[in-house]
Amino acid sequence: MNRSLLWRGVLITTIVGILAFSAYPPDENLKLGLDLRGGMHLVLKVKTADALRSETETDMERAVRLLEDEDVTGVQARRTTETTFELTGVPGDRGETLADIADNYLARWHWSRDGDRVLFEMRDGFEQETRHLAVNQAIQTIRNRIDAFGVTEPVITAQQDKERIVVQLPGVDDPERVKKLIKNTAFLEFRIVEFPETGSGAASRDDIVAHYGGQIPDNVQVLSQDIRNTETGELVGEFYWAVQATGTVTGRDLKNSRPGRGQFQEPVVNFSMNPEGADKFGKLTGDNVGRLMAIILDGKVVSAPRINSRITDSGIIEGGFTQEEVQDLVTTLRSGALPAGLDYLEERTVGPSLGQDSIDQGLRAGLIGGALVVLTMLTVYKRSGINAVLALSLNVILVFGSLAYFGATLTLPGIAGIILTIGMAVDANVLVFERIREELHKGRTVKSAIANGFDKARSSIFDANITTLIAALFLFQFGTGPIRGFAVTLSVGILSSIFTALFVSRWLFDLVTSRRGRIEKLSI
Amino acid sequence: MEFLRDTQIDFMKYRRGFVVVSVILVLISVLAVFVHGKLNMGIDFAGGSQLTLRFQEHPEIDELRGLLESAGFQDALIQRFGEETVNEVMIKTPLAAEEEQAEAPAPAATGEETEAEDSEERRQAQVLAALDGRFNSGVIFDLNRSGSDALAAELVKLDPEGVVAEGGDTATDYYATTAAAVIAARDEDGIFTSWDEVASAEGVSATVLDALEKNTSLGGFALLAAESVGPQIGGELRTKGILAVVLSLVGMLLYMWFRFELRFGVGALVAVFHDVLVVLGLYALMDFEFNLTTIAAFLTLVGYSVNDTVVIFDRVRENMRRARREPLTDTLNKSINQTLSRTILTSGTTLLAVGALFILGGDVLRGFSFVLSVGVIVGTYSSVYVASPFAVLWEYLFGSEAKSRREVKAA
Repeated sequence: MNRSLLWRGVLITTIVGILAFSAYPPDENLKLGLDLRGGMHLVLKVKTADALRSETETDMERAVRLLEDEDVTGVQARRTTETTFELTGVPGDRGETLADIADNYLARWHWSRDGDRVLFEMRDGFEQETRHLAVNQAIQTIRNRIDAFGVTEPVITAQQDKERIVVQLPGVDDPERVKKLIKNTAFLEFRIVEFPETGSGAASRDDIVAHYGGQIPDNVQVLSQDIRNTETGELVGEFYWAVQATGTVTGRDLKNSRPGRGQFQEPVVNFSMNPEGADKFGKLTGDNVGRLMAIILDGKVVSAPRINSRITDSGIIEGGFTQEEVQDLVTTLRSGALPAGLDYLEERTVGPSLGQDSIDQGLRAGLIGGALVVLTMLTVYKRSGINAVLALSLNVILVFGSLAYFGATLTLPGIAGIILTIGMAVDANVLVFERIREELHKGRTVKSAIANGFDKARSSIFDANITTLIAALFLFQFGTGPIRGFAVTLSVGILSSIFTALFVSRWLFDLVTSRRGRIEKLSI
Repeated sequence: MEFLRDTQIDFMKYRRGFVVVSVILVLISVLAVFVHGKLNMGIDFAGGSQLTLRFQEHPEIDELRGLLESAGFQDALIQRFGEETVNEVMIKTPLAAEEEQAEAPAPAATGEETEAEDSEERRQAQVLAALDGRFNSGVIFDLNRSGSDALAAELVKLDPEGVVAEGGDTATDYYATTAAAVIAARDEDGIFTSWDEVASAEGVSATVLDALEKNTSLGGFALLAAESVGPQIGGELRTKGILAVVLSLVGMLLYMWFRFELRFGVGALVAVFHDVLVVLGLYALMDFEFNLTTIAAFLTLVGYSVNDTVVIFDRVRENMRRARREPLTDTLNKSINQTLSRTILTSGTTLLAVGALFILGGDVLRGFSFVLSVGVIVGTYSSVYVASPFAVLWEYLFGSEAKSRREVKAA
């Protein structure tokens, strides 16, 4: 008996010790959910159609170029949907050349002839791959940007089948900025300005239309530029520019970029080109000395400086930026462009003060609720109540300890789960104590009443707790963040209450009753 | 203290009356859900936006409503939130009008949810703009709404300590530390109500404070939380929530069937349905918001309700082994009496805990703790007066006695 007592005591102390140690001190070891510590939870949808479109356009241009290389000229190409394009004007006698190119160089496309038109359709495998890749690239890009922004412990995960990305950022204090940083496609282009050739853009789109005599030519595109107050950064109007419709130099040609200062100490972005980019940039600027070059970011002109001489490897981007904007622009340029646009499906931002209020209220409710339960148990079961109270305290330690040990997250519903557990955990003790009382009423000795009480209560305790555990399991399955936190604390609470009621509490009884040979009375 | 020792209450005597009472309760609840309108769906399921604001001074709800209505938000829901002293208000706006979404191109296209989502962001901005007009007129660089990065940049621009001249990076770092301290001080209460609070932040010198007082303002309110849920996510959560409740009920039934006999499983399940419906009705009447946490509460209620029933049936099973020939109603009566003090004590302690949560746990958890507080009471009642009578009824209809009755009739 004594050996068994000792052995069980050591086991209990070890388990409780390990878990208590891993949770102490709680403010360092307990992982708090975003609803308690504050932060952002974002669900983004990757617009993979964007990536498909760009693949289609790339291969369409490639098809035209390959045909030109074989002296098939005058071919018209048109993208018809996100995954299809068609070529017209391929001479009837060059069918073999076309078949040759399509089969050898455009194997990812299914093609067919329909009279004068040649239809190309993306194969399923290629489409899936493109979508998949777009989501992966988007994640990588977002991760780079977040890392550069310096958020601690960001969690970024993909729901590949739904083409979604879930981003969780604890303790962000400027949500708008982060949202912009993530969502910026950061597609940078350099294109030559066609009109106006003076230093500032046209005041309205109509001016440009008028310049071209009412019809804007195909090779020209009209883009806007935001005009901002240099003091406050407030948006005060828009300029318009007619720029060449196609650009050869893009953000992909950059080697590096960093924040810098311009002529008047204003914040600018310094950039340098990779070798291939330097070639293209040298040609673009060399051919157009004296003209304006528009620097375009995500379809908006940020500035249009005059090209004074041929530039190859480096340059600056100015655009009346603030320090913060320069920093973010550099971050996005370095992380690369997003392969596809992003949409916010769900967005939850909670400030730290709100979470702190919740913690305070939860703590107060837990302490008072717990005190009432303790008082009840002591009143009803007298000195045996102490046993239940000890089991209950251990239970709370075990719940917090397990959360810390397994790295689970404590959320506000999780706190509710713990408080609920405090109320429900004594149930197992109550079941045992009631049985012991019944056995005592039958006239059994204290020791055998205790043994019988535990034996008979066991099946009730298991059955009753397993049903609650089933509910908790489904909750976990269902759970998004906070609810999962509740399911976890509830499950852990149930398991530890079984342990404390059947094992710890039994040990305590045995410990107390082992001292003397025969005990006449049990305070219960 | 020992109470309820050796009680001999004939619970089953009045079972028919109580079944009628239970049926009426359920009917009232179902009516409450449908007649009272519908459940007050939170943005988790209905989609839409929710802003939590803390004001410097006590805001008048009617005034806020007026401001939002004139900005085109007739259907915004405005309610006081948190403790009386903190001047907090929660503003919920439903998803952008349906026509707007219907106009979006082809339903299958991904474009649809795009439009809806971006519009949520726009609507939040519009709500804030409507309030800014009244509470933040003439405010420049609002310290109550800016992040620490923006404040750091602002400080670099103002350069009250004259450190920028000494060299770029050190100044940026210096002001970044100051800005972070100021924002941390604001986070304690969520809002600055006086410049003294700004001054209390670590590292804010008299000159910095002076520069801030001259060049920045303390706006009338701070944004504590902003949430928006798109129609797609809302729909998904709805489906998943219903699925979770249904599956857990099936799981319970299977477990009860496996551990006990079918008649007890059916009795327990009817009791669970009864509890969920009655509490749902009360929930609708009280107009609490139905959200993700509510689902958690109801699932827990399902677990608790069965738990309570199981303890009684466990005793029934034990008693049946001892006295096989005893009528089921007698066994039930005996078992309920034997477990009565446990039933009351456990319900009592659980009620103390969730009751404390209901009173002290704050607004976010109020709906949750309401479900459980009421649920514990209803669940305890139903274990005795719904689960047990239905086990008897099932026995009467399909049990061995019923079989012999039918045989007698046939002969």
